[in-house]
Amino acid sequence: MNRFDDELKLALRRQEPSADFADRVMARIAELSAESKQEKSREKASWLQRLAEFFQPPQMKWAMAGAMAIALIVAGAGVHRYRENDRQRMLAEIAEGEKAKEQVMMAMRIASAKLNIAQKKVNETTEREPDSK
Amino acid sequence: MQRADDTLSRAKNDDHTAFADLVREHQAMVFSLARYFLRDRATAEDLAQEVFIHLYQNLSSIESPAHLKYWLRKVTGHRCIDHARKHKMRTVSVDDAPEPVASFEFGDSLMSATLRRIVATLPEKPRLVVTLRYQEDLDPTEIAEILDMPLNTVKSHLRRSLVILREKVTRCLGEVEV
Repeated sequence: MNRFDDELKLALRRQEPSADFADRVMARIAELSAESKQEKSREKASWLQRLAEFFQPPQMKWAMAGAMAIALIVAGAGVHRYRENDRQRMLAEIAEGEKAKEQVMMAMRIASAKLNIAQKKVNETTEREPDSK
Repeated sequence: MQRADDTLSRAKNDDHTAFADLVREHQAMVFSLARYFLRDRATAEDLAQEVFIHLYQNLSSIESPAHLKYWLRKVTGHRCIDHARKHKMRTVSVDDAPEPVASFEFGDSLMSATLRRIVATLPEKPRLVVTLRYQEDLDPTEIAEILDMPLNTVKSHLRRSLVILREKVTRCLGEVEV
């Protein structure tokens, strides 16, 4: 900083606007707020009006028909879904039963094979014993 | 700082008294930036008023008192440049002004008045850079950020403006001691 800089700072120091500046700003803001509130209330009123008109008798009839149609569609979809789940469950149970049956059959086949082998061995031993006597 | 924070948060909650306090706190800064740039008190007050209305409409985006100051300087600077573009402001040559007396003392009003008149003859962007530098005591980096300008451009505006200002002051008032 030098003297010339100081001179510039002094020359370009902040100045106050008119004494009523802030009041005028606030008055403009109040005006704008009032306008905005009016606009909002107009928007709100028109929205309420539209809602009220919608529930006037002819519109109400259509609204009820629409609501009922939607309710029927939703109920139908629910029943269909329930039935489909039930069918899937039954198919899964049958598949599981088949699998268990297959396993039992396999176990029986193995047991039978083992018994045959044991029987064969017993027979062989019995046939050999009279010769040794 | 706590008080400034409190005023800002109250203003953000639609407290008009708090917003009026914010206006009073920053009106000199905004008005002076516009005044030195536009060279007309009434136009500067109108522009400053528009800046504060814009602030009211965008108050929710202000994060802190420091951000508020930065925002006001930025918006005022850009609005000044927009105003100049719209109205095609004429740069008055200092040569057109009557020659002031040759002697002066440090800090006297003649020197200040002459300097203000010469600053007013600078082209728009250098004028705004000089005003932000000396009115707001900002460094070139801060000015570059506020005006969305490359740092080297800000430095070059400052350097060239100071050369012009010294030259013109010397011509108007005699030798300037630096």
